[in-house]
Amino acid sequence: MKLIFEKSVPGRDGYSLPEDQFPKMNIKDFLPEKYLTKDKKNLSEVSEVDVIRHFTKLSKFNYGVDDGLYPLGSCTMKYNPRINEKMASLTNFTYAHPFSSPDMVQGSLELMYRLDQLLCEINGMNQFTMAPASGAHGELTGILVMRKFFLDRGEKRHKVLIPDSAHGTNPASAAMGGFEVVEIKSNERGTVDLESLSQAMDNETVGLMLTNPNTVGLFDEGIVEIEKIVHGKGGLLYYDGANLNASLGINRPGDAGFDVVHLNLHKTFSTPHGGGGPGAGVIGVKSKLIPYLPTPIVSFDENLKKYFFKDVGPKSIGMVRSFWGNFAVLVKAFTWILSLGPDGLYQCSKTSIINANYVLAKLKEYYKPAYDRYCGHECTLTGREYKKYGIKTLDIAKRLMDYGFHPPTIYFPHFEPYADETIMIEPPESEGKEILDDFIKAMIAISKEAKENPDLLKSAPQRTPIGRTDDVLAVKRPILTYDDELKFKD
Amino acid sequence: MSNKILEGLYYSKSDEWVKVENDVAAIGITFYAQDQLGDIVYLEEVKTGIRLKKGDTLTTIESVKAVAEVFSPISGEVIEVNADVINDPSQINQDPYGNGWFVKIKMSQPDETKELMSAADYSEYRKE
Amino acid sequence: MRYIPSTEEQLKEMLREIGVSSFEELIDSIPKEVRLKGKLDLPAALSEQELEEEIGGIAQKNADFYNLKPLIGAGAYRHLVPEAERALLQREEFWTCYTPYQPELSQGTLQSIFEFQSYISRLTKMEVVVPSIFDCASAAAEGVLMSLRLTHRRKIIVSSLLHPHFKEAIRTYIEPHDIKIVEIPFHEGMTDIEKIKQAVDEDTSAILIQSPNFFGSIENITEISELAHQKKAMLIQVIAEGMSLALLKSPGEMGVDIVVGSTQSFGLDLNFGGPYNAFLATKKEFIRQIPGRIIGETVDRQGRRVFVMTFRAREQDIRREKATSNMCTNHNLNVIASNIYLSLMGTEGLYQCALLNTKNAHYLEEQLLKTGNFEKIYQYPYFNEFLIGYRGDIENLNMTLLEHKFIPPLAIQSFYPDKELENALLFAVTEVFTKDELDKIVRILSK
Repeated sequence: MKLIFEKSVPGRDGYSLPEDQFPKMNIKDFLPEKYLTKDKKNLSEVSEVDVIRHFTKLSKFNYGVDDGLYPLGSCTMKYNPRINEKMASLTNFTYAHPFSSPDMVQGSLELMYRLDQLLCEINGMNQFTMAPASGAHGELTGILVMRKFFLDRGEKRHKVLIPDSAHGTNPASAAMGGFEVVEIKSNERGTVDLESLSQAMDNETVGLMLTNPNTVGLFDEGIVEIEKIVHGKGGLLYYDGANLNASLGINRPGDAGFDVVHLNLHKTFSTPHGGGGPGAGVIGVKSKLIPYLPTPIVSFDENLKKYFFKDVGPKSIGMVRSFWGNFAVLVKAFTWILSLGPDGLYQCSKTSIINANYVLAKLKEYYKPAYDRYCGHECTLTGREYKKYGIKTLDIAKRLMDYGFHPPTIYFPHFEPYADETIMIEPPESEGKEILDDFIKAMIAISKEAKENPDLLKSAPQRTPIGRTDDVLAVKRPILTYDDELKFKD
Repeated sequence: MSNKILEGLYYSKSDEWVKVENDVAAIGITFYAQDQLGDIVYLEEVKTGIRLKKGDTLTTIESVKAVAEVFSPISGEVIEVNADVINDPSQINQDPYGNGWFVKIKMSQPDETKELMSAADYSEYRKE
Repeated sequence: MRYIPSTEEQLKEMLREIGVSSFEELIDSIPKEVRLKGKLDLPAALSEQELEEEIGGIAQKNADFYNLKPLIGAGAYRHLVPEAERALLQREEFWTCYTPYQPELSQGTLQSIFEFQSYISRLTKMEVVVPSIFDCASAAAEGVLMSLRLTHRRKIIVSSLLHPHFKEAIRTYIEPHDIKIVEIPFHEGMTDIEKIKQAVDEDTSAILIQSPNFFGSIENITEISELAHQKKAMLIQVIAEGMSLALLKSPGEMGVDIVVGSTQSFGLDLNFGGPYNAFLATKKEFIRQIPGRIIGETVDRQGRRVFVMTFRAREQDIRREKATSNMCTNHNLNVIASNIYLSLMGTEGLYQCALLNTKNAHYLEEQLLKTGNFEKIYQYPYFNEFLIGYRGDIENLNMTLLEHKFIPPLAIQSFYPDKELENALLFAVTEVFTKDELDKIVRILSK
């Protein structure tokens, strides 16, 4: 469809500003010309009506959680309750300036303080910081906290252990924190190989970053041993909370000995993904790590009965962003926790685990699972069996679109020899049995098509606004702005 | 053995090939390597004159969905760079053992070829 | 539970189909030692009405911010947000979807980001735009890391008039990498160029200048860029007030290598500091070292123009520890918000809006000086934010302004303990103020 620039008509406008009350003031009288743009910067010229129609049309080319099943593994695409949005849009929150005096923002501070308490209870931790803007930002923050902890104790540790099943953000965050990454192999059960872990964990190693259940959807049953090995060598345990949706009210990372956890509020805690964010990647730590958290944290003065920003102190890693956190996202997560209570949270995890195992049970004879055992809140199947028909896992995913579903995560996790051509399916609690049955039916139908009519898969999707894209051309002939396109046309 | 592996070349475990003429070694990546990467879109430029030890990173190669480092299987000085393949890296996919060569290195330790694999050994090494 | 469709009966049926007799069997692999004993100690579930009362009650403990106009900016600016933008952002297709990994189901998001990249490219005159990094602080830090990858040098030069939070975040990000930071003091409200001359050398990776800087003044970017390039260092311009781009000379015309800019001013609410958004714009030659996602144009199998995430091989999910950044989730919905905003404002609207900011700010400063209660501290060119000395008691001034529903300006002393700034206030004046209101402010502060 047309770009907004192609709808532009000279002289048209879509803005509403108060009348200029200083018609006699000339900008050149108070700003030297050398600082000013010679010409107005050319954006577009469209009316409000044009804008409404343009973006409404664009929105129809998207598929969201409200459109149907969105079973992306490791992403927890659950329903985003409307009450959350309403609470986050209260104007006392949305218009609050971040540098207002504490007296003016007692409500915002209280919400941050109480969210910290709720998250501490849910995770078995002692203190959360609301600063990190995303999961990866939380990882970096957590890694820097661990780094500072050891520096403060005069210990030189320069390595971080990361399982081969980990999200790419884990090694990338560790590298940004200045650490060398040591990969730990998964075993035939799909979990961390304890032998390799024991060998790798030494007193030059900060510790282990672990997702649990891991990205294959399996709970690492060796967690008790893992904790002993890592803590035994003076290391710290880092919990990647991407998969916390399997654990609410069942087990808490803090109780398993994790020292740092990051949560993706946009996954487990129902805040929307927004087409890639904003989310929030808050991190929680055990008491001994509180002095290293980014500054400031919200505290409560018992005498004055007031909330305030407290400086974390000289050992803090410093700030990781401007201001205090993705506040609007925090409001949504807070609302969600209060709307569910302890029983509701447990029910979320229970339901999502049953959902994933149900899909696994129904599909495992068609798509060989990476590991044939009960899973957590997501299951990992593979498309390997269809290679002999000339079908790639990608083709299966694209064909699912023709059945009206968003495809699951594919090709991740990837580690030989157990996990390749993976199809990672996460059906969160907000998906009822009927839609899962429809999805299962579609997957079985595709399995049949793959054998009998592979071209259907190879030419898929047919029923989407566009067909498969030429990703090679996008790199070879980079058009990254509309002006690039104009140049290209010349 | 198919045309996926060429007789007369030396092969490394990290899927580079070496073709020796006198004391000069031409280097590229194997059919297997380019197939794993998929459509190659970028090859980082290598400068002539640089000296490499065996195992040093020679360059990085990028496809749409992967990036790989290419290691020098041989020690020596880079004396020629294939400018054509830098301009059009898809030649690596089309003709990995011919037009898809990366660089020529004047070998400082020609004996190192003995540590590499023959076509038959490499074929065994990459057998599915 | 209203968010969980399956009934207990259905869940039981599913368990039967799985072949287990109870849910417990499914979670058998979780060792007993790490299981939660009993229930989480949390308040019981609230109904919607109770939620509205509870959380509405918390919000009531804040000031009535909607009706308070801020004379404070300092990296967070209250501008007008068009209703059409708010309405479009309600479309679930934009906000309940994931990162656009499947282009067939996300052309809405992808095209919108492409349009935003095009707008920012036109505002900055830079070729390549990374549309979304969390905020200006993290974007500035990513810009520094990018320059280190490109130059392989070990030193950066930072203006003391970078927003204090940005400065802190940069320090936090580079702390593990053994990089020397030299901070350049200010002179007359601007970064001291003489001191930059002395500091820049063959080991300097980048010079970071915010312009307009934290005091609001517009820096001599062209001159500083020449200094940087003489030593083959990169110049990074940081822009905390994106609105200034509509009026001021583009970074691309002044030799800037990397621009990071907040787009909070383009249709984003203040939200007590977040989520905002920042872009990182640069030259095409540096594309393989950019952090984060970028969208490009290509064709689909039918030859139609379509948009995809591109130059992906730099990203963490592919390159892991060798990625250019760990970023995955960014602030994409805010990119769409700003794209809608810029489309509504258009060429003329954004220019007029920026002009109104400048006029309002300069009018207020001039009138305040006339009262005799204020004094000029430095002479410098500025956009919509200025420093001014107050001869009276700042506590009283704050109270007076609040009584009349204005949020007071920032007392700069809290960040800059310099003696000469003891009574300095940093005013930000945007288009939300009418002339009558500005006159009222002058009136109440002239007593």
